[in-house]
Amino acid sequence: MHMADALISPAVGATLWAASAGIAACCARKIRQSGDDRMVPMMGVLGAFVFTAMMINFSIPGTGSSGHLGGGLLLAILLGPHAAFLVMASVLTIQALFFADGGLLALGCNVFNLGFFPAFIAYPWIYRPLARGDGSRAWMASMLAAVAGLQLGAFAVVLETKASGISALPFGPFVLLMQPIHLAIGLVEGIATAALVGFVSEARPEALAPVSTSHERRSRWYWLVAALLMGGLFSWFASERPDGLEWALAKVSGQSQTPSDGMHREAARLQQKTAFLPGYAFQTTEASRSGANAGASVSGIAGGLFTFSAATLIGVGLRRARRNGAK
Amino acid sequence: MSMGPGNYIEVGRMDELSRMDSPLHRLDARAKGLTTLIFLIAVMSFGRYEVSALMPLFVYPFALTAWGNLPAGFLLRKVALAAPFALFVGIFNPFLDRETLSWIGSHPVSGGWLSFASILLRFALTVSAGLILLACTGIHRLCAGAAQLGLPRVFVVQLLFLYRYFFVIGEEGLRMVRSVEMRGSRSLGLRTYGSLIGHLLLRSIDRAQRIYRAMISRGFDGEVRVLRADAPGWKDAAFVAGWSAFFIAARVCNLSELVGNVVFNIL
Amino acid sequence: MTTPPSIELRDLCFAYPDGTRALRGVSLSVAQGESVAIVGGNGAGKSTLVQHLNGYLMATQGEVRVGGKPIARETVAQVRRAVGLVFQDPDDQLFMASVFDDVAFGPLNFGLSPEAVEKRATAALERVGMLHLRERPPHKLSAGEKRAVAIATVLAMSPEVLVMDEPSSNLDPCGRRRLIHLLRSFDHTKLIVSHDLELVVELCPRSILLDGGVIVADGPTVELFSNEALMLAHGLERPHILRHLHPHG
Ligand SMILES: Nc1ncnc2c1ncn2[C@@H]1O[C@H](COP(=O)(O)OP(=O)(O)OP(=O)(O)O)[C@@H](O)[C@H]1O
Ligand SMILES: [Mg+2]
Repeated sequence: MHMADALISPAVGATLWAASAGIAACCARKIRQSGDDRMVPMMGVLGAFVFTAMMINFSIPGTGSSGHLGGGLLLAILLGPHAAFLVMASVLTIQALFFADGGLLALGCNVFNLGFFPAFIAYPWIYRPLARGDGSRAWMASMLAAVAGLQLGAFAVVLETKASGISALPFGPFVLLMQPIHLAIGLVEGIATAALVGFVSEARPEALAPVSTSHERRSRWYWLVAALLMGGLFSWFASERPDGLEWALAKVSGQSQTPSDGMHREAARLQQKTAFLPGYAFQTTEASRSGANAGASVSGIAGGLFTFSAATLIGVGLRRARRNGAK
Repeated sequence: MSMGPGNYIEVGRMDELSRMDSPLHRLDARAKGLTTLIFLIAVMSFGRYEVSALMPLFVYPFALTAWGNLPAGFLLRKVALAAPFALFVGIFNPFLDRETLSWIGSHPVSGGWLSFASILLRFALTVSAGLILLACTGIHRLCAGAAQLGLPRVFVVQLLFLYRYFFVIGEEGLRMVRSVEMRGSRSLGLRTYGSLIGHLLLRSIDRAQRIYRAMISRGFDGEVRVLRADAPGWKDAAFVAGWSAFFIAARVCNLSELVGNVVFNIL
Repeated sequence: MTTPPSIELRDLCFAYPDGTRALRGVSLSVAQGESVAIVGGNGAGKSTLVQHLNGYLMATQGEVRVGGKPIARETVAQVRRAVGLVFQDPDDQLFMASVFDDVAFGPLNFGLSPEAVEKRATAALERVGMLHLRERPPHKLSAGEKRAVAIATVLAMSPEVLVMDEPSSNLDPCGRRRLIHLLRSFDHTKLIVSHDLELVVELCPRSILLDGGVIVADGPTVELFSNEALMLAHGLERPHILRHLHPHG
């Protein structure tokens, strides 16, 4: 459920980049203050482990499908939330860079969705209180925490997509699509996490104990409040205005043009005839629609194809020139 | 079961590309990063239905691929492989948004198709720009540049550790998966998976402890120091300025339409 | 004035947190410039002993002296400069982005000037014949190259003592031969932990046999290794080259 650059608006991308960068800076400071030098190699190597584990799939009994480890919760259990957030951020950075999973501007969203929720919500609020003792309680705790973390992450994806207003997917169906899928993924993640934690706590109990707890208790409140604020803000954008920030920007800049009446009526008629989900008409800002008209005109399309070919030719030409230059 | 050995090899391939030498590779990491950022913002700030105005921006990835001597086919394939989520979300647009927004001749084009096309174009542009940035700079120089720009050291250092030890742990994982496969099991059941990944995790923890030991025995005191720092020159500045000017021009006026009009007027 | 021994252990005892008593009173002394091997079966305590030599583990009882100074919290930084530790798996030791960065890591931590660091790193790489690899990332080296670079990372710190844990593991015969030549060319005090007894015979005139955390024998390598009963009793066997040297050993 990586967010992609193509689906978010710059405003949403920038907001979440700022949020994630802020949290990362905070975490980095925490780790430096803790003065535990061992943390750096441990974070790096466990990051490499999670990155590897994400590539190894296992079959889910009775379903014919397969799952893999997500890693956020496991890292929080092994390293504590601050280090886990940073490691998750680097795993996602590597994925964005090497596999174009997500994208560079969407990286802020992805780090927030997949790093923040498991590390600062699911781990301190669900796993830690529930996982006292071991055995079945620990299993339950990690299942619940993994599911909750992923549900929040998936919901955040929906909100961010809606607030960006690039996809036409209406809110309701999108939520109904995303949440159940991630319920299944969350259960799988929970099972895998619990199995691994059980394995480590038996074989290397000392590896599980490094995180001290006193000031964390206090700081988990901050994170909860931050999450709620963030969620509230985005829900508002996403539900009030399907176009969210774009709408807000248009309002602020005072751009609003009325389209020609005739066309609007024609469009409405067509829409009624063909609508697949009539209730969920795609509402657009007037500004973007008038831009679209220009962009899709005949000369626009011809010119588009023309410039695309020109771009290709420039590329080919440059390469030729370099080859010849090298000879 | 699929440990994409593919994935493992892909990382290695990108790593190799970034170690090639070309005028593009030699540019300062920060200059390339900044240019990429401006490019991404330019692309993403277009309206939802914009199609033709995005076209001129393809000059950027194409020119850089050529200039940096990067394998176009390989990058193209990577772009295609990354597409699923964008496709998944975008494919609904044509069904949901059926308002006719435009006409090609007498054929109506709905907003949904326009925005779907727009998503795909944005996707191709942003993804290729990101991949090119990595392929012509490399993770180490990117990280060094980011650290110079103020990214927290802890973050940068552990990211580089992650990258370094991915080549060790990824290979260990690959070996383990192969050995399971060789024993004839075609899919990894939960039990096998648990013990395989569990062992991999234990080995990773042990390795981290040994690495720490190796670090302190060479005087590690919490700070990782590196010699050498890139110093940007006029070429870097020219690179940023030139491309940014182009991006802004392409963003402000629809170059495609301009070109189209000129062509039609001549005809 | 006599020079103090490079390494001196006095009644060294160590127990891991879980209670495993890995060392139970080890005393030994290695003179300056000497090459000494530590041999013994798996779990004998060799690696545990080695980790005391640069203060990673601290004795639960007894004392470790390097260059005459006892290792303590205050001296540990100094001791780490004096004792160069080469690890069993070079991947653990090569953690930076490039061979050069790795070799420069130690000198940079000691606060040397950039020029001095550059000079030292270059010299160390030259010494092991790996200067041509300076920009290579460590994961793109062969096992033998990794080993050589790992040794260079330690040489760059100009240590007085070289301590190696299993230096010849994972090497092919040719790489092993090259390693032996390289090690022989160093005039540092050397302490080599190895299961490769033939390498020990070639490099170390003196050997120490460890078993169950205590020293069971300490003496000339050839003499020790020829004692079939002793070797067998402690999980080792007489190396083949000795059969040629002393057919009736
Ligand atoms: N971290 C640890 N915690 C508890 N016990 C340990 C630990 N490391 C080693 N031991 C135990 O200490 C003893 C000595 O181990 P050590 O690693 O020093 O042996 P070694 O001689 O190096 O063996 P090998 O030849 O296999 O490398 C063994 O019994 C081992 O099980
Ligand atoms: Mg050992």
